[in-house]
Amino acid sequence: MKSTRPSCTLLVLASALLAASPTLAQDVIRIGAVLPVTGKESKIGGAFKAATEYAVKEVNDAGGLDVGGKKLKIDLSLLDDTSDASRSAQLVEQLMAQQKVHAVIGGYGSQLVQAQSVVPDRYGIPYISGGAGATSIYGRSKWVFGVLSPVENLATTQMDFLSDLVAQGKLKKPLKIALLAENTEHGKDFQKGVKDYAKAHPGYSVVLDESFELYAADFKPLLGRVAAAKADLFMCDAHLEDFISMQRTYTQMGLYHQMLTYGARGADEAGRKGLGAATDYIFASGWWSDLLPYPQVKAFAAKWKAASGSAPQWYHATAYEAVRALFAAIRKAGSLKPEAIRAALAAIELRDSILPGGVLKFTKTGQAVLPFVVTQNKPGGKVDIVWPKEARTGEPVAPMPKP
Amino acid sequence: MRGVLNVLIDSLLAAGLYATMAYGLAVIYGVMRIINLAHAGVMMLGAYTTFSLFTRFSLDPFLSLLVVAPLFFGGGVLLYRTVVRRLPRSGGTASIESLLLLFGVWLVLQNLAYVIWTGDTQSILTSYTLKSVSLLGVRVGVPALLVFGMSALSLLVLEFVLHRTYLGKAVRAVTQNRDAALLAGVNADQISAAAFGLGTAFAGVAGGMLSTLYAFTPDFGRSFLLKAFCIIVLGGMESVTGVAAGALVLALLENGLAVWTTIPTSFQDAVSFALLFVALVAFPQGLPGLFTRLARRRAVR
Amino acid sequence: MKAFPWVAGAALGAFALAAPLVLERGTLNDVWSLAFAVILASAWNLLGGFAGQVSLGYSAFLGIGAYATVLLSLRGMNPFLTLPLGAALAAAFSVLIGLPAFRLRGPYFTIATIGVGEVVRVCASSVSFTGGSSGLRMPPGSFDFTLNYLSMVALAIAVVALAAFVKRSAFGQALAAIRQDIDAAEALGIDSTRFKLAAHALSAALVAVAGGLYAINFQYIAPGSVFDFRLSLSIVLMPIVGGVGTIAGPVLGALVFSTLQIKLLSIPALRDSYLFLYGTLLIVVMLFEPKGILGLVRRVFNRRLRRFYADA
Repeated sequence: MKSTRPSCTLLVLASALLAASPTLAQDVIRIGAVLPVTGKESKIGGAFKAATEYAVKEVNDAGGLDVGGKKLKIDLSLLDDTSDASRSAQLVEQLMAQQKVHAVIGGYGSQLVQAQSVVPDRYGIPYISGGAGATSIYGRSKWVFGVLSPVENLATTQMDFLSDLVAQGKLKKPLKIALLAENTEHGKDFQKGVKDYAKAHPGYSVVLDESFELYAADFKPLLGRVAAAKADLFMCDAHLEDFISMQRTYTQMGLYHQMLTYGARGADEAGRKGLGAATDYIFASGWWSDLLPYPQVKAFAAKWKAASGSAPQWYHATAYEAVRALFAAIRKAGSLKPEAIRAALAAIELRDSILPGGVLKFTKTGQAVLPFVVTQNKPGGKVDIVWPKEARTGEPVAPMPKP
Repeated sequence: MRGVLNVLIDSLLAAGLYATMAYGLAVIYGVMRIINLAHAGVMMLGAYTTFSLFTRFSLDPFLSLLVVAPLFFGGGVLLYRTVVRRLPRSGGTASIESLLLLFGVWLVLQNLAYVIWTGDTQSILTSYTLKSVSLLGVRVGVPALLVFGMSALSLLVLEFVLHRTYLGKAVRAVTQNRDAALLAGVNADQISAAAFGLGTAFAGVAGGMLSTLYAFTPDFGRSFLLKAFCIIVLGGMESVTGVAAGALVLALLENGLAVWTTIPTSFQDAVSFALLFVALVAFPQGLPGLFTRLARRRAVR
Repeated sequence: MKAFPWVAGAALGAFALAAPLVLERGTLNDVWSLAFAVILASAWNLLGGFAGQVSLGYSAFLGIGAYATVLLSLRGMNPFLTLPLGAALAAAFSVLIGLPAFRLRGPYFTIATIGVGEVVRVCASSVSFTGGSSGLRMPPGSFDFTLNYLSMVALAIAVVALAAFVKRSAFGQALAAIRQDIDAAEALGIDSTRFKLAAHALSAALVAVAGGLYAINFQYIAPGSVFDFRLSLSIVLMPIVGGVGTIAGPVLGALVFSTLQIKLLSIPALRDSYLFLYGTLLIVVMLFEPKGILGLVRRVFNRRLRRFYADA
């Protein structure tokens, strides 16, 4: 009886704490961002954080963003969702409901962005993500925009590249494909892209089609199945950790395929560090490469290197570009009203984009559909762009030389 | 049968590592009836420590295990003396408090790793990492072979310690019957500290070995922890051979399923856990207990 | 005097229900999360606190409830009508695993529940009819926050009241006997398995309903978030830190953890130390006051009372 009084007091005090809300600053553009800075996706989440903060700093250092004649500074609230989907959604709600941000920059990772993307509709606040290519996220809400092109296109671009090699005579049909993918939205889209292409184009057949759990570590049993399938091409979609573990086992088992790809992985520096010569001749397709021959890409790479000390990776570029697109839309809208920003985003055509194709614009679903680049690793740590042909910096080597 | 040799060799090599991983958990549970959830965190730290020794001092990861083992033994004893010993004991039975306490330690260790090494994926690349040899016609990676060698060695040393030294006998005695051991004059506190140190050392060494095989982040360790549970339930906790047997059964199951069935490998984990559940319910004393019971039944008849 | 906790509880509950008229959306979101945590903690406490059987597999029931709601809603059923179905499914599943698992004692039971939780998670992420690892979305439209809020808060109040009722009932006393000494309880004629199964089923059903409400409010679920082992751990942490086996304990624990989760995470300076704080809190509580915050408060209060009466 008496002893419950202290617990009740505690409860009341805590409720008061919860009810306290922060004061809102005026005359600034409030931008929120929820990213996986810690947790499973922390590596790229952290990179996104760096790129987002850099983009904001760039604008603030120039005096702010021009909105309808007035220059306003940007106030960035960047929160960590620890790679947890429900927390991610909750934090976006918090930004929109309590901190009343004018726009939200989405996170990285299909599951996290999926969870976040149901929220903007409830508040009518624009949301843009540089970190998720899964098609199922877009098209459901007019407030959700994404800079990453669909993952299926990542796969079909690789297939187009392979078909071109066949046309050049470097590879001969029929070609059997061993297809592996991580058990995520990204992996499933990749699998769909490859399978649909194989069905539509004679000469390709998928002889093995399996998913694996993220961070599974021991790939020996799975690669045993790949060996038994006796395929010509090995296509796999994986996160960095799994790419390193799998490719190691692949090399130790002495496996060989005419062409080898790990989806978007391969050209990453971290991959090269972890695998050395085992990454040679692996081809990868990605949303961006610092080797793209556009002047704005060279300029971006230079200033990023100056600011951070290392070369930019694709995730730095897409995060940066997402923020830049948002700011361009705000400038074009000339106001901070959500509908104005949203309409500006939907109609935007960023002509000096650093992304492949050089122009950034969103389709009806809110997702950008831009070309992908295909790169191939060459010995000695070199990387060449091998597709599209206009952007080529080196000749593709096919089939891969035997170890 | 297709690939029998493949499955046997791969399983044997995997079992060595699994056994080392599991033994660390088994000794702590056996002596103190504590489920050490921090085991995953210690393995992760072992991996990172080996990694740091490799990048900072260019020390070969397998040689650095000789540094990791005593270092982690000391760390384990320290952890026991400062934190674990203060736990209110409930008469020798396992408590939920110890479980949650060690979970707390695991979280702290993870945070430590994030702060020191960041969340970036790391891996150790040595001159022999990508090499492989042919063993009876089966291609085997050099690191996997070395890991097996190290595991076998450490388990042999462990067998020696358990059967030929006083410490070892005392540990076995407490595992079998705590009260009787206390009556026989065993110093419970010292043995517990030693057991905790031993368990931590094994976890660290297992982590170090894992770092030579796979890439890792601070989140690393959870799936291995769950496998270790499986193994100690299967193998019982009383002997090294029991743990080794449990490890072998699990490894055979994983590899066998991949080669002889078409069950997707993503279901592999589910199978291990289902096995864990079945083992717990059907033979809680593990396989050795099952064999003893069967032997007894045959003797009675 | 004995009525005081009931009065205080009712007052807080009434305030929470009336809150949409007073508080703003952001705070209501936080209260919703708090209510959700209270339900999970109090429901778990029925088996874990009252009966002393520590299960680390409760995320399975949460997930079953969430998935039942989404799958049935996608087939046209009113989301709120799916809740009792999800509850029934979870209760049935709890009996299915309880029958073999309750033969185990103490930590062996705990380890078995970990295994069950993981099997369910792997199956959910590998099977296509549950959407696999990409998860599922609720059918669009029909999102009504006030309704979601009121139902979660109402359920929280109901669960706490139910827990209080159970504790004082014969059922609750049987559970207490089982917790204290299962063999003695059996000797007294209590069929411990039946009681354990009943408590398990009741708490599983409640957790499943909370899972369904979660799906209705978040509108997107994936195996990684609803079947996660970390979630099972937090469900156990809350009542233990607050005070296992009591009524107010789980509520206090839920309060501490939801505050930690939402408030602290948004402070950039503390972001890197989130795990450290969580972990240290656990360590400190387990070492110094295993009866949780409530136990600590009672100890301090009793000491003051004793001193007061001694001086008199």
